[in-house]
Amino acid sequence: MGSCSRFALLVATSVLLLGRPASAQNLGDGSGAGLPSSAALRATVYGPAPTDLAPLPASVPLEEINVRMPWARPVPSVLWFDRRLRAWLSAQPGPAPLVIVISGIGSGGNSAKQSILRGALYGAGYHVLTLPSPTAPGFIVSSSSTGVAGDLTQDGEDLYAAIRHILPLLPARVQITTVDLVGYSLGGANAAMVKALDTTAGRDLIRRVVMINPPVSLLASIRRLDQLFVASIGPRDADIENLYRRLYARLANAYYESGAVQLDEGFLLRAAGDILRTDADLAAAIALDFRLSLIDLFFVGDLYAKTGVVVDPQHLQDVENSLDGIYAILRTRSYSEYFARVLAPYYLQHRPGSNLEQLAAANDLAVIGEQLRTDSDYYAQTSVDDLILNDAERAWLQNTLGSRLAVYSHGGHLGNIGERRQISDLLAMLAGRWPDHTP
Amino acid sequence: MKNWLLASIVPVLLLGCASADFSIRTLPPETHQPEPAPLQDADVVPEPDRAPVTPADAPPLTVADPWLRINRSTYRFNAKFDEAISFPIANTYRRLPSPVRSGTRHFLSNLSEVNSALNYAAQLRFGPSLRSAGRFVINSTLGVAGLFDVAARMNLQQSPTGFSTTLATWGVPQGPYLVLPLLGPSTLRDGVGLIGDFGTLYTINVPALYRGTESWALNGLTALDRRANTDFRYYATGSPFEYENVRFLYVNRGLIEDERSDRMH
Repeated sequence: MGSCSRFALLVATSVLLLGRPASAQNLGDGSGAGLPSSAALRATVYGPAPTDLAPLPASVPLEEINVRMPWARPVPSVLWFDRRLRAWLSAQPGPAPLVIVISGIGSGGNSAKQSILRGALYGAGYHVLTLPSPTAPGFIVSSSSTGVAGDLTQDGEDLYAAIRHILPLLPARVQITTVDLVGYSLGGANAAMVKALDTTAGRDLIRRVVMINPPVSLLASIRRLDQLFVASIGPRDADIENLYRRLYARLANAYYESGAVQLDEGFLLRAAGDILRTDADLAAAIALDFRLSLIDLFFVGDLYAKTGVVVDPQHLQDVENSLDGIYAILRTRSYSEYFARVLAPYYLQHRPGSNLEQLAAANDLAVIGEQLRTDSDYYAQTSVDDLILNDAERAWLQNTLGSRLAVYSHGGHLGNIGERRQISDLLAMLAGRWPDHTP
Repeated sequence: MKNWLLASIVPVLLLGCASADFSIRTLPPETHQPEPAPLQDADVVPEPDRAPVTPADAPPLTVADPWLRINRSTYRFNAKFDEAISFPIANTYRRLPSPVRSGTRHFLSNLSEVNSALNYAAQLRFGPSLRSAGRFVINSTLGVAGLFDVAARMNLQQSPTGFSTTLATWGVPQGPYLVLPLLGPSTLRDGVGLIGDFGTLYTINVPALYRGTESWALNGLTALDRRANTDFRYYATGSPFEYENVRFLYVNRGLIEDERSDRMH
């Protein structure tokens, strides 16, 4: 395995350099001008202060599950590695309620945020199953019925089908009493959609849902993200190259000056402040992290939808072919472009009689607004400075969910995950005793 | 050892090759105890008068890759091999008691101190060379044949080096990116370095485990130890651009490390 150990450190390098801890999606304030507040950016990148973290069990059992979906379509050779859906299970020894955790846009089923939530939920006595986002390439290839991810309803249906397929396959020793869903970021909206579909189908498989920092209008959130990218990095490939060169020089210099023995995760954690110095740097890290997720989603969607933006439908890639050219093109492509050139053309063609406005309106939590308002089993957590929402959307969540919404005074986007208060509220919500719980 | 290896390989092969519609496997438990990060500092202070790295010094965002086609094929082979063979074995190994694994790790890394001492000498870095030699002597005796890293407690921290770094010291560039079968991402120089390191250990043969039948067990154990201590999983995120991302990180990290060892002279 010669070079593999280095290799792990390299992965860690990117994780920090690109602000991975913050997971995928974070957005500007929608007004177009300027960046979100410094506190919001900081919380989004770094998460809670170490002293505010909820205690997690020292050790959590973990099993990996690989599932081939019966409805899976032929897999293009360039995506050979995503044939099966991969999920992670932490099972209690006896009967217990199950929580399924759905990650944010583009993220796989074992993200850093899921690891925190898994620890907290397992520690509270739940079985925990973590799943990728329906927009993660591993999910799209193995489990999507279209290959074109990002449509709230379609993703909800695919996710619901995947959950219904997996649960009966779990070993008999995993004794499940009830099933709850927790999703963060886009995963929150996905989770709510799954419960709505479940209720409509009359199955009542899903008991409660907790959305952590969900978007309201997907397109509005995505537009803010695109704006954040342009505001902090710029629209051109040269801007991305400049950002990379700046961060490379800072990282190298911090390393040479530190006297650290190795360029590893420990060093990066210590040096993060030297590398990401200004609000614009933090915003760039957040925007870049999102962009990396989008690149995967865009490539897979374009390939399946045969929209030909970057993948020539006549000449499909093979494993030996270079993807460098496509990668370089996709770096500059925004989410709005994905919507306009891949998602919308595909869905308009497959939903005869629909139009762009309907498609945009369908990608909004408002489509399940009635359920959110009347069914007391939906809960949510957000923060006043969440980068993906504006005030009107926050007010909509407040009006729709009422006392079933927790609003934090800080945290930016997902920056509260793992904080004592956030975890105790999450557990109270899942137990159905929010907001009347006494911590 | 042999029986145990055999016992784990057989079910693994069966599992790995089966194209099951549903499979479940136990991983090591996830731990949440913050690991005490040893704050190690290098023994050599970098030269203060060297100009800092500027953005213009950064290598291109898209890494040159003249052997791309064969590299990509090898990468896929490695991913499949890892999924079917290496990862499942390492996964089983990682569930053994921690003292067994750390003893193995220390034993193997102690053997590599000899190679480090020689390479530091060839890099004309005699302080670190002596330290590696000292670590080898201390850990081989007080540390019970290297099972315990006693030297680290005497403030002689491990800082391995190898033939590739020696070549870098004498001005040999990284050369093209190269994905080695089974061993993973590398460069031409790192590949030559691996052969050099292996050749050194074989030639000096201290202890007498590097030749004959024992060498198979030793090399197998080394591979297992490396894989088990590498927290990497092929296609963990499912990204279609994993090959490009790994290459970018490997090559850039190598360049940063080269520049650093250059600055230490």
